[in-house]
Amino acid sequence: MKVPRILKSWETFLVFLLVGVVLAFGAVNPSFLNLDNLLYSTSDFAHIMLAALPLTLVIITAGIDISISAVMGLSAVVLGVTWQGGANIFVAMGIALLVGIAAGAINGLLVANTDVNPLVITLGTLFLYSGIATGIAGSLGASGYEGISGLPRSFTRLAHGSVGPVPYPFIIILVLVGVYSVLLHMTRFGRSLYLIGVNPDAARFSGIPVKRVIVIAYMLSGLGSALAGAMLTAYFTSARSDLGSEALLPTITAVVLGGTDILGGSGTIVGTFLASMVLGYLKQGLLAVGVTNDVSQVVIGSLLIIVVAAKLLAGEMNRKRLNRRALQARDSVKGGGVPS
Amino acid sequence: MTNWHRLIKNRELLVLLILVILIVLVGMVNPAFLQADTLLSILNSSLILILVSIGETFVILTRGIDVSVGASMGLSAVILGVSLNAGIPLPVSIALALITGTLAGLLNGVGVAFFKVPPIIMTLGTLGTYRGLMLIITGGSWIETIPQNIKSMAGWKVLGISAFAWTTFLIVIAVAFLLRSIKQARYFYAVGDNEEGAYILGVPVRATLLMAYALAGLFAGIASVIFVAQIGFVPMQTGNGLELRAIAASVLGGVNLAGGVGTPFSALVGGFFLTVIDSILVFLKVPAFWNNAIAGLILLIVVLIDYRIRVGIDTRQRRARAQVRAQKMQAAHASLAKEEA
Repeated sequence: MKVPRILKSWETFLVFLLVGVVLAFGAVNPSFLNLDNLLYSTSDFAHIMLAALPLTLVIITAGIDISISAVMGLSAVVLGVTWQGGANIFVAMGIALLVGIAAGAINGLLVANTDVNPLVITLGTLFLYSGIATGIAGSLGASGYEGISGLPRSFTRLAHGSVGPVPYPFIIILVLVGVYSVLLHMTRFGRSLYLIGVNPDAARFSGIPVKRVIVIAYMLSGLGSALAGAMLTAYFTSARSDLGSEALLPTITAVVLGGTDILGGSGTIVGTFLASMVLGYLKQGLLAVGVTNDVSQVVIGSLLIIVVAAKLLAGEMNRKRLNRRALQARDSVKGGGVPS
Repeated sequence: MTNWHRLIKNRELLVLLILVILIVLVGMVNPAFLQADTLLSILNSSLILILVSIGETFVILTRGIDVSVGASMGLSAVILGVSLNAGIPLPVSIALALITGTLAGLLNGVGVAFFKVPPIIMTLGTLGTYRGLMLIITGGSWIETIPQNIKSMAGWKVLGISAFAWTTFLIVIAVAFLLRSIKQARYFYAVGDNEEGAYILGVPVRATLLMAYALAGLFAGIASVIFVAQIGFVPMQTGNGLELRAIAASVLGGVNLAGGVGTPFSALVGGFFLTVIDSILVFLKVPAFWNNAIAGLILLIVVLIDYRIRVGIDTRQRRARAQVRAQKMQAAHASLAKEEA
């Protein structure tokens, strides 16, 4: 029996998982199944998705960017401080996004021009960026719980407004899923990300501008995190340097659960999108059925390990099956009587 | 090779040199920094980071990474606090904390060695799991009352230096000695340098991986004992972000994330360095908000200097090899020409 390829894909599995999660929680607590509610609650994990989508590109190149949570805080502080300094709130947001791109460019340049492990580089910039964020906030006396508040409504609407039942953040995310999908799956730039992840030397010898592609990937990651920082600022209606500090691990979890190989060379934008929805709803659903945040950490952590281990095991079994089939085919060609 | 070259090739010594210069410079600005009391108190507050970093070093040696060490320490601290409050004697409680840490590490090892889950994913998963367990065990509240018997341990002193500091030194020296003298200890380096090769040579790769992660957990457990004794209560944030500081300390001290390179001295120097940075700004009367920025900057600078040095040495060696080859060729040509004549 032949199963269509699309049904065997990881993304299909994630769709089933997503539906399964939503239905399972709906069965326990029917109010969870309210469509308005489901759409509305995406705002709670919008920042994870905003950062996870471009992080997928970085991980496909066999890199990693763990400075994303620091860039979120930095972007929030820059936004708040520039606004407090008298700039228009959207100009301030533009500057925050530029700072995010610059932060990503520094990561990318250091990764592309040295052989130092990206984890080490972005670990260094993680401390650097979060230090600059707390430094700026602290020097201006905005390090407290309040942060910089009193932001104009026109800005906070970015996180709280909606078109019909669809909140703005989710619309932005859907647009970005489209943009990044085209970029990753339909452009030369996207293809070169995969080749760099599989074999950077081969990529260089085939004329791909490896350094430029890597720098752009990290810049996009910086931009995504800065956007996430701005979104968090609008969501909490105040700019604080510690916004996003808890976002690092869920974001990486979303990318990996989305089917991106942490060692590079494979992954899709839709996979990351679906996985972050699964994780987001799982957390919300556990809360809705009365499971505390503590237990949901255990569930999500175990889920990550089990899913990845199962996927590896399935791959291993598939390879064994193919091997066995190939051996059978060889034996039947030889008439089956030849001792090996 | 001149002595100078040898010095800067040795990463621990390079970082130690920068550290000494830094301490002297800060001492010139504010002499209070150079007082024995100050330096000893910095030493005492660096012990937790140093111990966790030593454990992390074993894992990084095998080309892995363990981002769950902070959570393992937190979980061990919770177990220690709970069992002490339940009236279990101090030595037994400490043993329970060490066992908890070791088991937490062992679970990571099982995932990495037997299920082939990439280390960062395995430990990311257990990071969430252990943090959740901490909250479940305590019901989400801090353990605020810790019996005096463990707190008084932080005050024990030998020759003016705390007993914990001596213990940490002894551990560093013992680990360094064992890594050099026991054949099995070299397996960590072999697996990290070339896992396939090590397997073919008969190194028990799985057992080595299990051991590395179990040791990372054990050291997190040891650190939790010092944490509970020094701090005197167990907040839920215990060990939060410690994993990143431990990785930073090891890397700063010269442990290579590509595996196979590093010693416990790397963790010692790196862990002490990062703690010194945290105290320096206070003595320079700069607000402590900038601590992380300075730490990040120094980590990047050291890593980049190290990269330049490696590239420099590499090109020099290549040039030297090319020269030797050219000379040999010339000699060969000359002798050929002689024969023909």
